[in-house]
Amino acid sequence: MAEINVENLKVVYRGVILALQGVSMRAGAGEAVALLGPNGAGKSTLVRAISGLLPQYDGRVLDGRITLGGEDITHLPALKVAGLGLTAILEGRPIFRYLTVIENLRAAGHKLTPQRQKELTDEIFTRFPRLYERRFEQGGYLSGGEQQMLLLGMALLTEPRILVVDEPSLGLSPKLTEEVMRVLDDLRRDKGLTLVLVEQNARAAFSIVERVYVMEQGRVVFEGTAQEAQADADVMEFYLGGAVAGGFSEAKRYRRRKRWV
Amino acid sequence: MDLALVIQTALNGLANGALYAVIAAGFVLVYRSTSVVNFAIAEFMLIGAYLTYTMSLFFPLLLAILLALPLAFIFGVLVERGFVRPLLGRNVVAVIMATIGLAATLDGATLILWGPDQKAMGAADISQLPKEVPSLAFNLGGVFLSSKAVWSLILALPLAILLVLALKYSRYGVLLRAVSESETAALAMGINAPRVVAMAWGISAVTATIGGAFLAGAAGGGGPGHHLILLGLIVFPVAILGGFDSVPGAVVAGLIIGLIEAFSQLYLESLLPGITQAIPFLIVLLVLLFRPYGLLGQHRIERV
Repeated sequence: MAEINVENLKVVYRGVILALQGVSMRAGAGEAVALLGPNGAGKSTLVRAISGLLPQYDGRVLDGRITLGGEDITHLPALKVAGLGLTAILEGRPIFRYLTVIENLRAAGHKLTPQRQKELTDEIFTRFPRLYERRFEQGGYLSGGEQQMLLLGMALLTEPRILVVDEPSLGLSPKLTEEVMRVLDDLRRDKGLTLVLVEQNARAAFSIVERVYVMEQGRVVFEGTAQEAQADADVMEFYLGGAVAGGFSEAKRYRRRKRWV
Repeated sequence: MDLALVIQTALNGLANGALYAVIAAGFVLVYRSTSVVNFAIAEFMLIGAYLTYTMSLFFPLLLAILLALPLAFIFGVLVERGFVRPLLGRNVVAVIMATIGLAATLDGATLILWGPDQKAMGAADISQLPKEVPSLAFNLGGVFLSSKAVWSLILALPLAILLVLALKYSRYGVLLRAVSESETAALAMGINAPRVVAMAWGISAVTATIGGAFLAGAAGGGGPGHHLILLGLIVFPVAILGGFDSVPGAVVAGLIIGLIEAFSQLYLESLLPGITQAIPFLIVLLVLLFRPYGLLGQHRIERV
């Protein structure tokens, strides 16, 4: 049985802007799935829909169904969804910038017993020694990479079964992106998480997921394993970018634009 | 200059300031957690004072204050549920306008419920003697402190400090600061943001009640009446001086404004009658001109 199952989901913002036009996707228990696609494809909308945060963005599910471990969560408020073991790391690195690193972790782990919280905090500090060094600093002063690590730590403190991460590589150097992906992969394997990773950086995502969905204009336009995606010339050209034979010198000045829809 | 007089004035100023501090701390708490400027804060004081008065008809005054606090908390939560929650996600200005409407509504409601005349604590009609909390007035080496001042100092000041410490260190304090920054991010982390916000409103009503009850004369000096609304306006200069989004700032600013008022009363009032009422607002003008983020207001974190 699929852990997350999205069927024919349609989402509107402000009652008029159709952001998802019938999206279906699923992720099995313990599976890692990537949602790829350009800006405005509806990836983040899907994340918001799954985590129940659409009302915060004046959005609404028009049609379709989302289930979590068989339970219908389509219209469940965010708090209830979080209670079911799904934690979403939203885009834009939403740490609490005026809280110190320690306070950020405390806020995320507020439901745990003090002892469990301490155990997990210690574990996070062992995984990310840099966070320990900066534990009394306000989150807003951390570097982008450190903030991403802090977010992963916070997510860990919510003890999720399913982790949804929206664009962790945004604004990070290739080296840091690689590091974040490695950490994400480690976490997933150590904790046996189901992972839904939203990325624009397809190359980074391929390294740690089993299956990918490519989205464009509110629809899923490709679905397959990571290998299939990498073997697909169209997907490679449009989402991996620059996979043009002969390198950049022979690449056309204006790239061919192709749409599936 | 008479040293005893200066000390006495300073203590009296601090005592009044402590009341301003608790009220402003609650006011700022609400602003922090919801970005709503609660223009009905003076009415919160009024309601709190009247609740205390009603309780005082049946119980000793100290007990009446204690009993009024949970009622005030419920009142604050109800306001949040009824007025603020339905407007969540709307323009903040809409919510602020709603609090102005709320202020007018509460004004009218208290007039209907309790009448226009000034009450005396614990006295159903004027033939009865007003109740007071046990008198703690003392006179030590020429320094005379009224019972009201002592009560304010031993009740309001620790409460204000407790609020600051709780916000900084307690679990709910951390959650409240988290929610105040981003409700969406808090929800995504499974923080019960609506409950935290309701708590903030409840606490705000509680602190307003304590401030209101004592400003209205729980320790001598009359009882609740509509003049409290004018006294309640002091919250705005205090909050602005403190930085508007800082609870510690509000506490420090409350004490400062209390002191300034007391000394202005002592030295300036004879030269410029009425100056004491104007001074807090002059301070607001200066703060806004020269230090818009007040004493301890948050500096924006910006990374480039």
